[in-house]
Amino acid sequence: MGKKNKSVLVVGAGIAGIQASLDLAEMGLNVHLVEESPTIGGRMPQLDKTFPTNDCSMCILSPKMSECARHPNITVHTMANIDSIEGDPGNFNCKIIEKAKFVDPDKCVACGLCEEKCPVKIDDEFDMKLRKRKAISRYFLQSIPSEYTIDQEHCLYLTKGVCKICEKVCEANAIKYDDVDKEIELNVGAVIMATGIDAFNPIGFGHFGYKRFKNVVTSLEYERMLSASGPLGGHVVRASDKKEPKSLAFIQCVGSRDDSIDKNYCSSACCMFAIKQSIISKEHIKDMDISIFNMDIRAFGKDFDKYYEKSKSTYDVQYIRSKVSDISELSNGNLRLKYVLENGEIRFKEFEMVVLSIGLEARKNMQDFAAKMDIKLNKYNFCRSDGFAPLQTSREGIYVCGGMNGPKDIPESVVAASGAVANSVKFLEVERQDIKEEGTNEKNVIGDRPRIGTFVCHCGINIAGVVDVKNVAEYAANLPNVEHSEDVMYACSQDFLDLIKDRIKEHDLNRVVVAACTPRTHEPLFRETIAEVGLNPYLFEMANIRDQCSWAHMNEPEKATEKSKDLVEMGVAKARDLSPLKRLPIDIGPGALVIGAGLSGMTAALAVAAAGQKVYIVEQEKKSGGNLRKIFFQPDGKDPQKLLQDTIKKIEEHENIHLFTNTVIDKIIGYVGNFNTSIQNLETKECTNISHGAVIVATGANEHKTKEYQYGKSTRVVTQVEFEQMLLNKDFPHGKFKNVVMIQCVGSREEGRMYCSRVCCTKAIKNGLELKKIRQNVNIFICHRDIRTYGFREQYYTDLRDKGSVFIRYSPENKPKVELLDSTDPDSKLNVSAFDPILDREIIIDADLVVLSTAIDALEENDILAKMLKVPLNADGMFLEAHVKLRPVDFATEGVFVCGLAHGPKDIDESIAQSKAAASRALTFLSKKAILAEGTITEVDISKCSGCAYCVDVCAYSALEIDPEKEVVVVNDALCKGCGACVASCRCGALDLRGFSNRQLHSVFDALELT
Amino acid sequence: MTKKGVKISLEKGLQNQIRDFFKKGLEKGVFDAVILPVRVPGKDSYAWILMNNAKLIDQANPVPPVMPVQGAKALKALTRKGNGIINVATIMRSCEIRAAIELSKLNQVNLEKITLVSYDCPGAVPMKGYNRIPEEMEKSFQNALAGKDFANDKMKEVCGICVDFANSPADLHFGFAGMENDGILFSNSDKGTAILDTLKMKCSEDDSQWKNSVNIIKEQKSKNRIEVYKSIQPEVEGLDNLQTTFAKCIGCHNCQSVCPICYCRQCYFDSSASKQTADYLQDKAKNRGGIGFPRDKIMFQVGRMAHMSLSCVSCGQCMDACPVDIPVAKIFSYVAAKTQDTFEYHAGTTADGAVPLKVYKQDELNKIHELIKNAEPQGSQHE
Repeated sequence: MGKKNKSVLVVGAGIAGIQASLDLAEMGLNVHLVEESPTIGGRMPQLDKTFPTNDCSMCILSPKMSECARHPNITVHTMANIDSIEGDPGNFNCKIIEKAKFVDPDKCVACGLCEEKCPVKIDDEFDMKLRKRKAISRYFLQSIPSEYTIDQEHCLYLTKGVCKICEKVCEANAIKYDDVDKEIELNVGAVIMATGIDAFNPIGFGHFGYKRFKNVVTSLEYERMLSASGPLGGHVVRASDKKEPKSLAFIQCVGSRDDSIDKNYCSSACCMFAIKQSIISKEHIKDMDISIFNMDIRAFGKDFDKYYEKSKSTYDVQYIRSKVSDISELSNGNLRLKYVLENGEIRFKEFEMVVLSIGLEARKNMQDFAAKMDIKLNKYNFCRSDGFAPLQTSREGIYVCGGMNGPKDIPESVVAASGAVANSVKFLEVERQDIKEEGTNEKNVIGDRPRIGTFVCHCGINIAGVVDVKNVAEYAANLPNVEHSEDVMYACSQDFLDLIKDRIKEHDLNRVVVAACTPRTHEPLFRETIAEVGLNPYLFEMANIRDQCSWAHMNEPEKATEKSKDLVEMGVAKARDLSPLKRLPIDIGPGALVIGAGLSGMTAALAVAAAGQKVYIVEQEKKSGGNLRKIFFQPDGKDPQKLLQDTIKKIEEHENIHLFTNTVIDKIIGYVGNFNTSIQNLETKECTNISHGAVIVATGANEHKTKEYQYGKSTRVVTQVEFEQMLLNKDFPHGKFKNVVMIQCVGSREEGRMYCSRVCCTKAIKNGLELKKIRQNVNIFICHRDIRTYGFREQYYTDLRDKGSVFIRYSPENKPKVELLDSTDPDSKLNVSAFDPILDREIIIDADLVVLSTAIDALEENDILAKMLKVPLNADGMFLEAHVKLRPVDFATEGVFVCGLAHGPKDIDESIAQSKAAASRALTFLSKKAILAEGTITEVDISKCSGCAYCVDVCAYSALEIDPEKEVVVVNDALCKGCGACVASCRCGALDLRGFSNRQLHSVFDALELT
Repeated sequence: MTKKGVKISLEKGLQNQIRDFFKKGLEKGVFDAVILPVRVPGKDSYAWILMNNAKLIDQANPVPPVMPVQGAKALKALTRKGNGIINVATIMRSCEIRAAIELSKLNQVNLEKITLVSYDCPGAVPMKGYNRIPEEMEKSFQNALAGKDFANDKMKEVCGICVDFANSPADLHFGFAGMENDGILFSNSDKGTAILDTLKMKCSEDDSQWKNSVNIIKEQKSKNRIEVYKSIQPEVEGLDNLQTTFAKCIGCHNCQSVCPICYCRQCYFDSSASKQTADYLQDKAKNRGGIGFPRDKIMFQVGRMAHMSLSCVSCGQCMDACPVDIPVAKIFSYVAAKTQDTFEYHAGTTADGAVPLKVYKQDELNKIHELIKNAEPQGSQHE
């Protein structure tokens, strides 16, 4: 291994690449983020909503995109490809080719004038070719970076030497026709690959009529049709007659689970995608009749089954178990589907529109790419990774995340990204970073009369094309306390930023208002600018006259101008009341507490310790290992017990890891960076106090103990865990046997446990395959509701079917029945009766052994721990993360993380990835000596507080507490995020949000009223 | 479901029966002190007195005709800074108990060492009526009580539409509505049951007769309630109507200071934060063509509604205290019924369950949306 390096390369800027970059950057590493397209964001911006919360995809992604682009430790290289990686881990030399953009990103201000005038129209890939874009364009409205690029293949000047219109209209002189590709050499310690995934193109599936029949679309095209920002503005109409479709069919598994096209894997996300699209469609068109044609519904993720059930109960979506064999188009544009029911009956049904739920496949050119990077692929051309090292490529120092090594949904991609970061840390130099002191030479403005400067931005024609910008600037000049007002072409250009600084000095300004675009992207820039000349950055206010005036009212220029004046006046009113704010430093102590020493806890501990941190693991059992102790086989042939022994050995040998077994947690107090925990040994009763900066919850889960199906009454009814033990010992207590029946979903997916336990389908199949190895002639019957062998697990399902095992689908209303032949003898053989929908009749199996796939239960102790840590549980008693999509291992309460079964049912590889992710997220704090609290946080006027604790319950971040002595509320500056919910809940007027005080807001409203 | 209670004779009158109960309780040590209403020396009002000897109890009037100070306020005064070491019992009207329950959810009252007792409330005489002709009012009230008259027109208007007159989570309850010579004392909590056990009072009486009578009375009151809400609606819906109704408000804020739920140390509208400079006000007057004083009449009422309507128990204290006779209690009762229905919350009627806005439920916003969409005259959906 070479000298530890502080730079790292991330390839691909989809959600996985973005997450990996942010985690690395927060650890103080220099990140180079390379992206092939002109913008970061990947696939998520194309999505309308996300399951199972129906959050708007772009709304949740764009803050992460902005953060990524703004982060001082991240360099984004768009339109760039990685060409080669030479050298060894810790010392890779990488060559990057950055393609010519033909627009100078330092000059372009994304005003859009060029695009408007460009004469060349081409298909817009972002909108699935449902819309046109120009040869000079940006990828989508919220692209980051926002600068335009010229499409070299289609630009008239670059191809034929004529036109040059964009150069003529560009007022920023940003067009650069002589731009050339650039080669960049980087030396990095590790590489994280997140090149993503492609969607299957169903053009080859002639019988579905894609591209032949107008009203057959792919799920991605349909997603753009549903999107409010898409080509149809969210009003779904079918292509043939532009009418709202009243009936819609989804056809699942188009390009998935299909050996005939070498895709014998499940794309994992399409079932949920179709359910989501059905629900959203029904919200758009209430009387729409929706059917989803499927083989199995694979809603295996956290809270997915509830969403699936809701689609049936609330939205009346129909699910039809069938593969559609043929589609024909009728003269009215409707589509006639031919399909075969499970019992062999042939049916026809007419729909006004059909959506093909297309599968996910490896990126094109993966083979060339892999050869260049010297990494290996699996047989479906996905990057090959190992079941026990799910984030590692075949080349050391190069890690993989996102869809690149197999189909994943968004949270799994985010988990893998953070996990890959934890892996890469061993080749990188992670030091505890200091924070820069802020505002050391700040000018004191308290008590001074407000002297406000207002600057109104044209943004080329983006604003000035609608709003009379000069008029607005003149209006602002006459407002009280405004000492200077002017209009500027591009407020965010470097020239202007210098101008602001000059004006501040010239007019002795102590407040600045900029009327331009959105504070979300531009406020930090302006704040930094005024800070450079000694003004506190919070003495700045922004009026968004682009989004709210020139965009929203583009056809009413006069009204847009009037509204702009109002917004500027409101901004000035607030500016008058602004006061300087400080971001107070909060010390972050090192070290992590890991609760639970199962595989997840131990993996997380090792990952945190790899960055030089101390880790304390607390385990209530006498031995570490958790549920892994009961797993002896993996379908891919790996040995779980070897993994267990290796992991335990590493833990024991690690000098920075302290394992406390047979120990419970007494009390946890404190907050991020400053936790103090007392633990007690159950045997010796000895107490120990631990100080640590972060907490990782890895408490695991239990196998459900059922009373169904004669379990406990018959010695021939066992659980899968018990059966696995028999398989290991090759010891079957009842001697010879012929028929084994497995029953799935015992306790899962029904009242009281309305979730899928995720691992049981694969586990049953795995045990079935193991049994077949020992006893070839045993008949295996698997009674199930859906077989959920997602991802590459599909292969094992095929394997077991090939070995002659019988799969019988049952419905929850008609569960299989298990009876003892002799009810007085617990050893007697069993009769299992079940309805077989394929044979269309009841069958009775003379069973020698019944194996129950019992649910995964949350630990009862979770409740106590959740209260101690001030974090929530979901309705099923599992720990509830901060955001199911984008913060899958975090809690809203900072410094506390979750992984493994404590979060929800998951397999070994998934637990490993998630525990590494939790470690990585913890390291983003632990790698700092201090963090800065927000400036805009809540303050308490204790003379007004009645101590009613309304605010305490309302706070999502557990930042408030009642002081038991004074009986008033106190704010923890470290935890407060400045959301203001507490202020809204406080009837006594005791709480106020700095920077958004009641007084400031009242001034703003008054300004609006007085005009 | 029927419940068993202790049969009590009302031959000596309810007041005496209750006094005996408290004396017995003190004697057996199930509580160490009691808070009971005692008539003031001027004979024109009542005051809450904390006492621990049987002689004083004889002077108390456990079921007084008036409610000068809402009982919850007395409990707040006693326990705001935490409990003492002794157990205290009290008897109050349902609305007072419910207010105390609400305040305990808001950390303003601590009920740990308090035993709450309640009774079938015939209503309370308005203070303004009472203190002019106390003896006459005293007589009407005692007659109503003895005659088990729950529709007496001498009572406050909100008492006439109170559907919770016999419904509260008090530990013990004296029921007598619709019963001939007897009453029934039953327990609503473990604390209440333990007390009955210690006092060796046997629960052998079935509560079904009482319950039926209560339901009949409730039904009538529900009907009245819908009528009253219908009549008040045009006075308050829309800003213009609201302004007309509150035009005579003198800004004394009596309604707020007597309200048991308004627990802020200082009302925002009494604080300096709500005051504006002359410049500002003159500017505003210029823009609007004129502004009225005192300021913030509507803001004050709407602010108060926003703050307390989810916990409002319709006790009517605000209306009693209003010197200009604005029907504040009816207005607040009407608004409170609507807001509480929206969150399927019924203030003070159950001891557990957080005040609605403390807990987040995903469909709440939809419900509010529906409520606004369907805004039309209607009574409470509680009943």
